[in-house]
Amino acid sequence: MSTASTTRLTLPLTALFAVCFVAPLCVLVALSLAAGPDGGVATIGHYAAFVGDRFNASILFDTLWLGVKATLVCLLFGFPVAWICARAHVRWQSVLIFLVVLPILTSVVVRTFSWIVILGRHGLLNQIVLGLGLADEPLRLLYSEAGVIIVLAQVQMPLMVLPILTVLSRIDSNLFDASQALGAGQWRTLWRVAVPLSMPGIIAGCILTYAASITAFVTQTLIGGARLIYMPLFIYQQAVGANNWPFAAAISVIFMVAVLVVVAVLNGFGRRFEKHV
Amino acid sequence: MNSRNAFSRRDFLMAGSALGLGALLPGLARAAGEELVAATFPGTWNEAHRNILKPAFMKGIDASVVQSIILGTDQISRLEAAKGGTPPFDVAIFDSPQVLDAVKQGLIMEYPVAKSPHYGELLPAFQDKWGPKISMQVIGIAYNPERVKTPPTRWEDLWDPRYKGRVGLTALNSQLGIAFLAELNRIKGGTDADFGPAFKALRELLPSVGAIAANLGAYATLWQQEQVDIAPYNFNFVQTLKGKGVPVEFVVPETGPVGWQTSMHVVAGSRVPELATRYIDTHLDAAVQAAMMKPPYDVIPTNGKVALQGAMTQTIARTQADLEKIRGLDWAALNPQRSALIDRFNREIRA
Repeated sequence: MSTASTTRLTLPLTALFAVCFVAPLCVLVALSLAAGPDGGVATIGHYAAFVGDRFNASILFDTLWLGVKATLVCLLFGFPVAWICARAHVRWQSVLIFLVVLPILTSVVVRTFSWIVILGRHGLLNQIVLGLGLADEPLRLLYSEAGVIIVLAQVQMPLMVLPILTVLSRIDSNLFDASQALGAGQWRTLWRVAVPLSMPGIIAGCILTYAASITAFVTQTLIGGARLIYMPLFIYQQAVGANNWPFAAAISVIFMVAVLVVVAVLNGFGRRFEKHV
Repeated sequence: MNSRNAFSRRDFLMAGSALGLGALLPGLARAAGEELVAATFPGTWNEAHRNILKPAFMKGIDASVVQSIILGTDQISRLEAAKGGTPPFDVAIFDSPQVLDAVKQGLIMEYPVAKSPHYGELLPAFQDKWGPKISMQVIGIAYNPERVKTPPTRWEDLWDPRYKGRVGLTALNSQLGIAFLAELNRIKGGTDADFGPAFKALRELLPSVGAIAANLGAYATLWQQEQVDIAPYNFNFVQTLKGKGVPVEFVVPETGPVGWQTSMHVVAGSRVPELATRYIDTHLDAAVQAAMMKPPYDVIPTNGKVALQGAMTQTIARTQADLEKIRGLDWAALNPQRSALIDRFNREIRA
């Protein structure tokens, strides 16, 4: 197929992208530069107000840091799950993959509410803890950062497992046999062969999980409550609660740029690693 | 390749166009008949409107109604975004603070009183040229009677060390949050220009606070999961929770009930203003309001012909005359401060 016809084929997608993504983004940036809700002279005042206030900066930092923690927990549990799926017998593999994908098939709101039942004061987890005598009074899991991380890790887990699983299942299993034949133990084979070869999947999984975790408005607000303020709730409060659309637009742009920087760093890390391997 | 069976690019485009047309068809069909889109609030309101208002409105007319669940602040945002074009809904439902915003921004039209036979039956306090008040929301103290053995009598009871870690609050993006803060400020000697006393009291309350919900939906969950035992709350929401078997009771503090009004409005630019007026007028009908007053809705009536009954007579008002005495809030003074109050609240409460 010639380049010209390939270009023509991409036109519908390009148009859709321009209308549904680029245009709203331009509107967002324009709104963030408006002096007041009704427009006015362009100003960078909203950006300056955000950057100049340590409280706002700490919300941004906490949000980005929350993403790092949730992603690490996801990776810690997601890699073994992907590993088991990839190494399982074909018959079991489809069952395991179905189980991994299962959470995506239900609404995130439903999943989050079910976690409220599990983490609540009289929830399942606290009943187990109290029943085993591990604590004298119910643990405070809801409305805490630990609770938010636990739920985010579970809710976003498929986004971590699936890319790693795809890469792991493409690795020639003879490489593992060769490693062990040459004297490496199972852990060394995992660390020196499986992990480096699955790095593209790990990076992709981390990017997806990270982006989904820091923007997870529903989970952050329902499990974290109003005392743990992260960027999505902050933007919502400014836009809908305070009716301050230009400021909400400005902090949305700042948030987006911050996320893009983190994703770019992860991507760069992935590329360097590929060259190294 | 057999060209007759192949799916050519032209076939693909035609199928695509047909799909696109199909997506547009509901819109075309709507243009043929009259359809009213009415906003409603989540929870109790949505249920009362679906089960009582809709059937009453549909009686004897050839039109359909779609009830769309949207919060008041979101309604303002959507109407603003659609300004100049066709509005996304024809009937708006607002609490007092949003009415001021909507009037200022030209989002609603004056209510055609002459076309609304039931309007004259409303108590004078509930008549408004921008749209009739359909009910009141009253706040007080909600508590779990299984864990709070002595019913609270005053707002200060929230500070009682017995309830340490068991007090609930909600963020300021709801009327409940703002109204509680404003009432607290008044009790502690503050003014609308100085919220210092309220924030000082709030700071002292924080060690007792077990959870601050980000929105009213999450607030209800706090009670269902028995995460909190005592908190400021709306009368109606407490009744709804009680109806669902949640152990919760409602008391009005000795400083008296505080509340705001809920009203319905014909949206400016609506394609079906007559239908919208008829829909709102149905809400003012004594029979409809009497039905909504029954549990599990417990909607406070505004029509003078409806005698108060049920839980509201034990806590809020014995008679219609008492309803008019419920203290309101100065939203004209509060609205411009909303952004600053939310900001200050965030800084005070942040964990």
